[in-house]
Amino acid sequence: MALEDYKNMVARCARCSYCKWIPFANVQNWRFAKGCPSVEYNKFQSFAAGGRLAATLSFLEGRSSCTEGFQKIVYSCLMDGMCDVACKVGRYNMEPLEVMRELRYRMVELGQYMPEHAILVDSLRQNDNTMCEPKANRGQWAEGLDVKNVTAEQCDVVFHAGCRYSYDKDLWNVPRTAVSLLKKAGVNIGIMGKDETCCGGRVNDMGFAGELTKYAESTIQAWKSAGVKEVVTSCADCFHSFIRLYPALGSKIKVYHTVEYIEKLIKEGKIKFSKEIPMTVTYHDPCHLGRRGESYIPWNGKEIKMRGQIICYDPPKPRYSGSRGVYEAPRNVLKSIPGVELIEMTRIREYAWCCGAGGGVPEAYPDFSSWVAGERIAEANSTGANMLVTACSRCERNFKDAVEKNHEKIKVMDIVELVQQAI
Amino acid sequence: MSAIEELARIVGNEDLITDPDILTCYSRDESFVKPLKPWAVVKPLNTDEVESIVKWANQTGTPLVPVSSGAPHFRGDSIPSVPGAVIVDLSNLRRIIKIDRRNKMTWIEPGVTWDMLQPELAKQGMRIPMPLIPKKNKSVIASFLEREPMIIPRYHWSLLEPLRCCEVVWGSGEKMWTGEAGDQAGTLEERWSKFLYQVNPNGPYQTDFYRLFSAAQGSMGIITCATVKCEILPQVHKMFVIKATNLSDLIDFSYKILKIRYGHEMFILNGADLAGMLAAKADAIRELKDKLPPWILVLGIAGLERLPEEKVKYQEKEIREIAKQYNLYLEPEIPGVDNQQLLDVISNPSKENYWKFNYKGGSQDIFFITTLNRTPEYVGIMQTVAQRYGYPVQDLGIYVQPLMQGVCCHCEFVIPFDPANQSEVARAQKMIDEASWELMRKEAFFSRPYGNWADMVYRTDMQSTEVLRKIKGIFDPRKVMNPGKLCF
Amino acid sequence: METLPRDIYRALEDIVGPDYITEEPATLDSYAYQLDAETSRGGSKFLPRPLAALLPGSTEDVQAIVRACNRFKLKYKAYSTGWGVQSSTRGEDTIQLDLRRMDHILEIDEKNMYAVVEPYVIASTLQAEAMKHGLNCHIIGAGASHSVLAAATSFMGTGPDAIYMGWSPQTMLALEWVMPNGEIMRTGSLSTSKNWFCGEGPGPSIRGISRGFMGAQGGLGVFTKCAVKLSAWPGPKVMPIEGQIPYYITSLPDNFKSHTIGFPSWKAYADALFKLYDAEIGYILHRQFNMWGDELQAAILKIRTDSSYSLEDIDRLLEKPEIQKQTEEMRISFQVILAGQSMADLNFQERALDEILAETGGWKVAAMEDPLMQKWTMLYLLKLCYKSLNFIYGGCYAGTYSIKGNPDWVTSAVVPVAKQVMGEHQKKGMIADTGCDAMMSSISDIGGGGRTWMEQFSFYDPADKKSIEGALEYLKAAVESSRVRGWPRSYDTDYVEAFGPGRVNRLNNMPYPQRAILQWQRKIKEAIDPNNTGEGSYSTSEDSPK
Repeated sequence: MALEDYKNMVARCARCSYCKWIPFANVQNWRFAKGCPSVEYNKFQSFAAGGRLAATLSFLEGRSSCTEGFQKIVYSCLMDGMCDVACKVGRYNMEPLEVMRELRYRMVELGQYMPEHAILVDSLRQNDNTMCEPKANRGQWAEGLDVKNVTAEQCDVVFHAGCRYSYDKDLWNVPRTAVSLLKKAGVNIGIMGKDETCCGGRVNDMGFAGELTKYAESTIQAWKSAGVKEVVTSCADCFHSFIRLYPALGSKIKVYHTVEYIEKLIKEGKIKFSKEIPMTVTYHDPCHLGRRGESYIPWNGKEIKMRGQIICYDPPKPRYSGSRGVYEAPRNVLKSIPGVELIEMTRIREYAWCCGAGGGVPEAYPDFSSWVAGERIAEANSTGANMLVTACSRCERNFKDAVEKNHEKIKVMDIVELVQQAI
Repeated sequence: MSAIEELARIVGNEDLITDPDILTCYSRDESFVKPLKPWAVVKPLNTDEVESIVKWANQTGTPLVPVSSGAPHFRGDSIPSVPGAVIVDLSNLRRIIKIDRRNKMTWIEPGVTWDMLQPELAKQGMRIPMPLIPKKNKSVIASFLEREPMIIPRYHWSLLEPLRCCEVVWGSGEKMWTGEAGDQAGTLEERWSKFLYQVNPNGPYQTDFYRLFSAAQGSMGIITCATVKCEILPQVHKMFVIKATNLSDLIDFSYKILKIRYGHEMFILNGADLAGMLAAKADAIRELKDKLPPWILVLGIAGLERLPEEKVKYQEKEIREIAKQYNLYLEPEIPGVDNQQLLDVISNPSKENYWKFNYKGGSQDIFFITTLNRTPEYVGIMQTVAQRYGYPVQDLGIYVQPLMQGVCCHCEFVIPFDPANQSEVARAQKMIDEASWELMRKEAFFSRPYGNWADMVYRTDMQSTEVLRKIKGIFDPRKVMNPGKLCF
Repeated sequence: METLPRDIYRALEDIVGPDYITEEPATLDSYAYQLDAETSRGGSKFLPRPLAALLPGSTEDVQAIVRACNRFKLKYKAYSTGWGVQSSTRGEDTIQLDLRRMDHILEIDEKNMYAVVEPYVIASTLQAEAMKHGLNCHIIGAGASHSVLAAATSFMGTGPDAIYMGWSPQTMLALEWVMPNGEIMRTGSLSTSKNWFCGEGPGPSIRGISRGFMGAQGGLGVFTKCAVKLSAWPGPKVMPIEGQIPYYITSLPDNFKSHTIGFPSWKAYADALFKLYDAEIGYILHRQFNMWGDELQAAILKIRTDSSYSLEDIDRLLEKPEIQKQTEEMRISFQVILAGQSMADLNFQERALDEILAETGGWKVAAMEDPLMQKWTMLYLLKLCYKSLNFIYGGCYAGTYSIKGNPDWVTSAVVPVAKQVMGEHQKKGMIADTGCDAMMSSISDIGGGGRTWMEQFSFYDPADKKSIEGALEYLKAAVESSRVRGWPRSYDTDYVEAFGPGRVNRLNNMPYPQRAILQWQRKIKEAIDPNNTGEGSYSTSEDSPK
């Protein structure tokens, strides 16, 4: 679709402001009711989803153009999807996230992308990763792990580390632990090592649709060639790409996040805990595992009107309301670890506040990104928990940076690391 | 034609009074406001005459002082502040135009008094929640125009309740209906024939006109008709009193009851005030005062037309349980107080001699708005000032009336004195002035600034003064309406 | 002026700081874009673009801006959440003030039951905080996302809970108001102290010029703080929420009950209203679900509570006997939430309700007695968290016939006309065919009862020119049908006729019972806004007074 194809949609925004808040049913207090980091930080109406839809209409009608200010409107969005979820509480024909992504595609087409994003894309094109690191080093995180390479040996399951986990040494323990846990539990698992490439999801969110297609096609082919049946990843970004974006491009592989796999293995008795971890923890739902982690449902239809002016679809369009994200698995895992007490934050599940790492924001607007993470840390602190647990490389990195910057005491850990401690 | 002749032409000779003795009666009241004789008194019969009088006043530059209640008056607002004024006595506008049970509304003129209206409403099973024992010839409309508090807080949706729509002749001579009545066309009868009633007081449109003449002491215009919300007469009605040694003992319990909107009538009195209400002669008052506890909370529990016994039963039970949590007890009677008599007293206007005069012959009040939790503090201030002046503290009457369903309260000090004793009068006057200043400094809100309070309040609040003068300039550009009152 | 002269821009920038002022066209258009704009702007979603958008952070900022506007002969339009055409600028030479930085709940006084808020505090968050204290706040019909201050001061302010909590003029206490001339007015008790508990006086109540039946909609200065009355909340400190999005429900204790009650006729409906007023029962009384149309409401309720259905299933659902039965039972109906301060109190209210139903031939709609429906209805109406469902049909809606009056008048005069005109226009296909009774209503729009109204919803597609034209044709027919009958004005009259070019002429030509009101308002405006900085939402007549 092209941006023009969304003109009707952007004219149908009701200006209700639901996109700025968590779904109102879930509001418990004043402090943690806000949903949209972009409008909270940048303040002007155009930085909320509804405002971006208005800006899109303004752009399509030639009332505004690609100025620096317009660019900021477009790119100051974490693409976290809270607006999308909140909007769809009552709306059946609005896709705010889709419009905002389409707007980014248009900006890229016009050459109006952020120079900071261009650096990532260049890195991608040269080294198949968004971390500006040599391709050859991609598999270093797994050194000494004694894990199969799927290109050389038959595996049922491929573990996809993702760019962040592959190159961020501070976080290597997470993929290493994930692979070890699954392997010890008897999963026939392998990795692609240096042949693994970026999933393309992040840059797709930045507006580079071509890169997604390119990497999706090559990765799908690589999996096919390797004969793997399932892909597991600890990176929520990659999870989202595989479960939501890749099927539209031909992927038929079964997709798991590590935490889902661990839940399965716990239920099957293949992971057992022997130690108690006396810890109060709170869990952060990564956007791309939660509300953006819903599986793809194919649809090829058109808009119709019933009863004069009731806007519907033929066939009925699947609703990505955030309800089918991965919420229970991490909670079940945490609750099954002896000694761990889970205290929920106010904003959780499909209405969790973003970590601040999405949409190309850390690259383009690092202060904004850091502020968003700081807000989440404050919310975690409000629970009294000692530890903030998550299940995403980007979330973990952003939280760790924010904790250090703001001299916070709360520990940040990936869920697999906590599981490992209890075994 | 001379001005007086023109006036006589408007109201008729029999309703134009220039008799000096009668003028003297209108020149003074029970307050400390300096007496001033009016030039004449007119008693119009209808709205048209009122309109003509106001227009005449604009043409001749004559100040007008509207009065709707009968004597005695207490606040100084019915006495001219400038010479040459004409009293517009509205007592001839005394029609009860309509009583409508289904809508629980009544349409009345300003001369309709409590003793006229309540019996008529009772015939249709209704009443209007009254202020605390008003004088029987008090104008019902004037009671609520002056924002007098009613004794049933849970019906008190705003400080102007139960006043709804008003027909007003502004000081400019222009007439209008306020509230939803201002949005309707035709005569009242024509509207009623179409089920168009005059219930909501707000507006019309983007201005709450009726707020502009509330507590205005007749300085904005003259109300010639109003609609008032009525309530249903209880079919089961029990009165209770709760004794306390200290006022503070009653506060948290009061908050609890107000929050859940149980009960009906609810207010707090000290022994002196309650004695003054129940006994008619000074000796009896004194004797009763000695018997009564220092503080009494009066609480009615009422069942209306539907399941009245059931309602009273469960509310009584639960209120008792709540009271117990605060070491308080609902008593159907206490020595000296027959609760049926109490109910009778507060359900009717005062008997012939206004009750506040029974003790010493004269009385003045200090009243202001505050919150319940601060009332003990203000009682302390008042008592300290009284002591400073050698005023017998035990004679002070104190009345606390929750307002607006409990958000705030009317706090009133009743200061009886012998009006024939000049030193008592002087003492009372000085004491009231000094106490008022001290109370205001401690954030007591004098929302109805009568007499000297006007100067006290408006000097402190220059912004309100400026805006009020602008409003006055719109609705009474020639300043004919009761000049010299408030900040005008 | 096309753009702000640089010296004026700099002066404004000096007040709020460079981060909080913008002239970015797309941002300005995000302020100009409005719900329903297309009906008065020839199909455009954009009202006039402001010259700049500013984000003041304090009363002092607002005052400085207003003073600057007086000096530079600019107009300003302040909004809190900005929902609705009344929030955006109407004409030329206007700057937009977005008050979202002023978003604090300054105080909740639990004992005296009031809260003090800044403009960007919304009902949802105030309610959540109030509930921790066993209190609740009035939420207007627009729902959880509305600004508490704006509802109290600047628009209308009725909602489902008005019968118990009062409507906005009844809940508004003291105000802090930056007047059009830049002076700060503090009303009521705030005038002589720091207390917020009283909104009247001293003496004549100045708040009388701040709002009436309707507020000034930003056209008469800027309200920067206000206090609102709260009411008892006999429920848990935090409402427990269950279910998957968007099918959230709540489970409340036994002292809460919800019903939908139906009647055999509009006469019985009106009788029931008066009996409810007399009985003094009900925490929320509202005709909410009819807004989806009497033909479709049962189907929509099913879609909203059962994830196996979507909008495309409407007609299929309507074939089901149980949906047909529910449709008939709910034709003349409304919702009731009873909240008892104790079980005895609840039981009393239930018994009273049962008696009223027996006396009027009414019934409790069976399908809505289902525990799931009770939980869903209670969440919906107590939090009003689903008000984006006003747009469930995908486009927009325009409310009509919102004329308030006594139940006898509304049911006998307004309802038949509203249904007839709606039915005629629905047949043309340009507004959705939902059944000719798509009327939402507060059973009483004021505290304690006495008055009701019906807002007839017409659903149209703002992306479809023909649908917009059809909607406008219907709106005009609705307004005309009330005008020829000499009915009192409704705010729809203002909405249809008061936006867009030629507005003043239309106001002057309206056969309005007391057009003097607009003359008075002109005098008020001249007195307190001598430099005419308010942008026109406060209506005045251009006629000379008599």
